[in-house]
Amino acid sequence: MSEIAKITLEEWDRRYEELRAAGMVERPYGGLLRRHVECGDTRLTRLSLDGSAAALRLWNFLLTEEDRLREARSQGKKILGTMKDLGTIPVMAYSLDKVVAFYPDGAWWLPCIKENRTGLLAIADRIGVDESFCPVRAMLGAFIGKAHFPIPDLLTCSVGATCDDFTAIAQRLVDLGHPIVWWEVPHRRRPEAGEDSIRLSAGFDVPVSQVAFVRSELERVRRVLEDWAGQELTDERLRAGIARANRVRRVLGELRWLNFTSEPCPLPSLEMMIAEMLSIHFCSDQDESLLVLEELLEEVRRRVANHEGVLPSGAVRVFWVNPVADLWVMNLLEEAGGRICGNDIMFCHALDLIPEELPPLEALARMALSDPMVGSSDDRAERICSEIERFGAEAVVISRIPGASHCALEGAVIGEVVRRQRRIPVVEIEVPPLSDSLEPSLRTRLGALVEIALEARLSRLGESDTVHG
Amino acid sequence: MADRTVFYCNPFVPVEWMVAHGVTVRWLRIRSVSGTSGVGPRQGHCPLAAAVVEAVSSASTDAATVLTTTCDQMRHSGSFLRNGGQDRIFLMNVPSTWQTPAARQLYLDELLRLGRFLIRQGGRSPSKEELREVMGRFDRKRANLRQARPSMAASDWSLSLMAVRESPSQVESDSGMVIDPVLHGDPADSTASIHAPKGAPQGVPLALIGGPLLDQDRGLLDRVEFAGGRFVLDATEWGERTLPRPFDEMRAGEDPLTELVDAYFGTIPDVFRRPNDPFDAYLKREFVSRKVRGVVVVRYPWCDLWHAEVARWKAFLDIPLLDLDRTVDEELSVGRARGRVESFLEVIGR
Repeated sequence: MSEIAKITLEEWDRRYEELRAAGMVERPYGGLLRRHVECGDTRLTRLSLDGSAAALRLWNFLLTEEDRLREARSQGKKILGTMKDLGTIPVMAYSLDKVVAFYPDGAWWLPCIKENRTGLLAIADRIGVDESFCPVRAMLGAFIGKAHFPIPDLLTCSVGATCDDFTAIAQRLVDLGHPIVWWEVPHRRRPEAGEDSIRLSAGFDVPVSQVAFVRSELERVRRVLEDWAGQELTDERLRAGIARANRVRRVLGELRWLNFTSEPCPLPSLEMMIAEMLSIHFCSDQDESLLVLEELLEEVRRRVANHEGVLPSGAVRVFWVNPVADLWVMNLLEEAGGRICGNDIMFCHALDLIPEELPPLEALARMALSDPMVGSSDDRAERICSEIERFGAEAVVISRIPGASHCALEGAVIGEVVRRQRRIPVVEIEVPPLSDSLEPSLRTRLGALVEIALEARLSRLGESDTVHG
Repeated sequence: MADRTVFYCNPFVPVEWMVAHGVTVRWLRIRSVSGTSGVGPRQGHCPLAAAVVEAVSSASTDAATVLTTTCDQMRHSGSFLRNGGQDRIFLMNVPSTWQTPAARQLYLDELLRLGRFLIRQGGRSPSKEELREVMGRFDRKRANLRQARPSMAASDWSLSLMAVRESPSQVESDSGMVIDPVLHGDPADSTASIHAPKGAPQGVPLALIGGPLLDQDRGLLDRVEFAGGRFVLDATEWGERTLPRPFDEMRAGEDPLTELVDAYFGTIPDVFRRPNDPFDAYLKREFVSRKVRGVVVVRYPWCDLWHAEVARWKAFLDIPLLDLDRTVDEELSVGRARGRVESFLEVIGR
């Protein structure tokens, strides 16, 4: 087994030249990572990064999304801003010929990536949306300042079983002159005795009536999109769109499996998380996102075959709950001796395959209802437990998002269910967009978790050595 | 036989529907938000949601509770309570969208599901006639209360608004106004001895908006009226804004459940609804008709729905607005909050 060192941004300059000298062929959005820092993405300087050409392409693809959206507009394409549903409406949007879709919600990472130099949070503060809200409030600043993503031609937003932060902030967008097509996803409930039900691919049983309701909402969205795009969104088109989305999800499925189960860990958790994010809206270019992921998968396959990894063997296998507002915390976990082996970063439903044998809107309705955030915390915890078992995680980190309404109680429920069912250590931490000032406390908490998990591992090994083991 | 008492605290759950099922309906009394919720202090946890968790946890184990999805923290509270062993929790889906027949149908379906839950708690399925009769009774009670409003202090009004959302076990006054002496607070409480001059027409007309008012807040209402203000509109979450409109007798006669749905889901404006312009329209209309000169907003920390609206109202209402962001350890009736309200009154001119 050999360890591939992660590298800093400075080291990337030399690595870049080495890769070019070795014949690396780049896409138009390629180039030195440093140029993004010069454009304001200064958080990169704090990160430890994977040094592969595949990772370089991934970062470049991610950090050029705004350029891609502007380019799409200049080519006469329409831009759809899809909000909150994380993975459903973009499948419909990319089934149309001249539409690109993205999540304005993604602006929640801007304060981190640009290390608060954007003023987005200050703009939100000025209109009364202060730090008691989730960092997604940066989205308001991005709409007002118009300095980041192009303002979408149409906005959709799922409501109902969603966090209050988001629905409140989205309503403010309406008042700022950005009309929204609201569509409802009700709180997913368990079927009652005798009630017709369906088992979702995520493993949840859901009443047929709820699926029918969400399907009717998606029918409504379909009609809106057709009128707006000037193109019929037939079932045939949707089927093709679902098949394309599934290609991305299949690649991600293998990537996740290899990365979460191989020893040593072949890809850093940071790059893995970014790869997973592509499943939500394909970073505004569906075809290219597939190619980016395929190259990453090839790199991981090669490393697994060569027993190469980016972390020492034996790193503690951690299941991570909720996305981190500060990407750097993924580095911190690995420095503490952990690695990611499974996660629920609020869009598991965008990683599951969409059933292709069903009528397309029925399939998408089922996916929307599979969203871990629209059900109860108990349901979410059950799925987390099953994924912990699947990937062999030894500890859980519940990462709270500052101000997010769902974070107030869900950690207590998830933590208790996990401890009861899996008997592994759980720690809850809070990660703000820039967590440098919390570094000592985060290191201590993550380090303690790793230590406890290692002790439990040794204890299990000891038990297996006994006559009863 | 299970205890057939059902607690609830959301105005989108029609009391008539529950009472018609033969259960005893009680509004969940939240006296204060300063207690412990059994959850432990958790950053970001709305103190009201915590207080509801505490109240439900300490209620009779045989009693049932109806919560709703109108607020994310309440939605998760349902999950928390169930996980803690409370199995008589009904979480009612109240759609945020309201413009489509599908959303209305979802609300109706949820009422039917609630009905089945109530039957499982020992209730019975009502006939149309029974439902119509119960609706008529509550409608008259609300009408009587509205008539009595001009002569009532804001604190009494606020208490009575809770009482008309419950099973009729309280003493009814000659005017038909529901008075429950128990609800008037502890006589030993110093704030209870201060009463505004009821019906004083000369006070500065004020509106109250925001999250629910608790028992502990009523002292503030008395003090404001004592200091020269007069609350002419209680548009808080449990206030008059969220009473259903009067029932249409003819439609209730034909199809009482449909009329119930229209009166509740079809007309109650609220901040959680998307879009929420009916709420804005309500405020504008009521402020004009009641000649409101100042607005007091009461909201809880971590309540995003109300918090996000405040700055916008400041801009569009064109009326002075006082934002009382209450904290767990601060009663509105004392200290800083009281001083701020009195200064506010002074500024807008008593």
